[in-house]
Amino acid sequence: MKRHDGRKEDELRKLKVEAGVLKRADGSALVEWGNNKALVGVYGPQEVVPKHMANPYRAIINCNYRMAPFSSKEEHGRGIPNRRAYEIGKVAKHVFENAVLTNKFPETMINIQMEILQSDGGTRVAAITAAAVALADAGIPMRDIPAGVAVGKVDGEIVADLDKVEDNTGEADIPLIFSPKNEEILLLQMDGLLTKEEFKKALEMAKEKSKEVHELQVKALKKKYEEISKEVMG
Amino acid sequence: MKKIVVPGDEISGGKTFKGEVYKENGKTYAAVVGLAEDERMIALKGKYLPQLEDIVVGFVEDENFGRYAVDINSPYEGTISGRMTRIRLRIGDIISAKVSSVDEVHNTELIEPRRLWGGRLIEVEHVKVPRIIGKKGSMLKMLEEYTNCSIIVGKNGRIYLRGGNIPLAVMAILKICKEAHTSGLTDRIKKMLEKGELNEKA
Repeated sequence: MKRHDGRKEDELRKLKVEAGVLKRADGSALVEWGNNKALVGVYGPQEVVPKHMANPYRAIINCNYRMAPFSSKEEHGRGIPNRRAYEIGKVAKHVFENAVLTNKFPETMINIQMEILQSDGGTRVAAITAAAVALADAGIPMRDIPAGVAVGKVDGEIVADLDKVEDNTGEADIPLIFSPKNEEILLLQMDGLLTKEEFKKALEMAKEKSKEVHELQVKALKKKYEEISKEVMG
Repeated sequence: MKKIVVPGDEISGGKTFKGEVYKENGKTYAAVVGLAEDERMIALKGKYLPQLEDIVVGFVEDENFGRYAVDINSPYEGTISGRMTRIRLRIGDIISAKVSSVDEVHNTELIEPRRLWGGRLIEVEHVKVPRIIGKKGSMLKMLEEYTNCSIIVGKNGRIYLRGGNIPLAVMAILKICKEAHTSGLTDRIKKMLEKGELNEKA
């Protein structure tokens, strides 16, 4: 089977990860995933506002997801966040609560601002991928760097990394985020129907492909320091 | 052997590994982006957490019931009891002080405040401070020698300079911060200070 953009079943779109793109934020990252563009800034750990939200045992994490008004064909990002934006902020928050060592910073909060500049299907995975890099760039202690990919079923075939057309016309879509160190699942949402066997196949494919994403994340984080080393030491 | 590691990288080494690491199933993993050496892990970025006996440079932010709240470039603020000080502080004062106690939720008590005035204050990442001080204070000594500045280095990443060739000292400090993770830094800084030129990019 050939996909509408000529990719193989398990082929990812072109992925580019960049760390430390914003000067004022404590940590930041830009991910360009096919036609998706996700820009993330991380602030913190910092003082909690409002103060009654503070937890004396661990840091709290705030996640905001927003699509820019110019990000897609339909209208987005004007006025208050909609139901979908709240949902993605919430699932991303749960991902990072399980990745960040929050007990090291009691009575503080970590703010993660995720902005989708351009969208083409799979933006929540792109945003969380970028946020993971931004958190590491901010020097916040983490168990590891969450990485993931969306898998799904299009025209009866299990495929990886669906774009908007495939997402809208396909039978199922599963965004997945893993903890690459021990392959724990941090995020699993499913839209559509799959048989048990198909689901297992999709899960294995996502595990395999998320490793590619993780490699790029690590590369992006090391790049800045390696470049300076090269410059001064030859 | 220094190696750049990222969160989740396994670190081989003794059980006494120090720094930003965590242990799971008897193995040691890095928790931040940093440099892994034989015995310890040096973070390359992160926020300052107050530690006992640290000298910090802070701003007096608030005063009530004889206590001063001090911003110490950290998620947590320091407090000075009015009873413990001989000088009277005002909101907006820049001070250097010593951390006298820290508890498990990072409530920080400061003592021995000294008001700083004149001079110049710069802010760098606190993880670079050990590099600015150098082994047994060698780097700091060199900076003071070549520039004639008197320098107070706060562990929280705020550096106060007074007198002497301040622009040169600032340039040197920014260069140290930029190249903190490389080796042979002392020689390069020495060369820069000997030249005494300010056109170095930092």
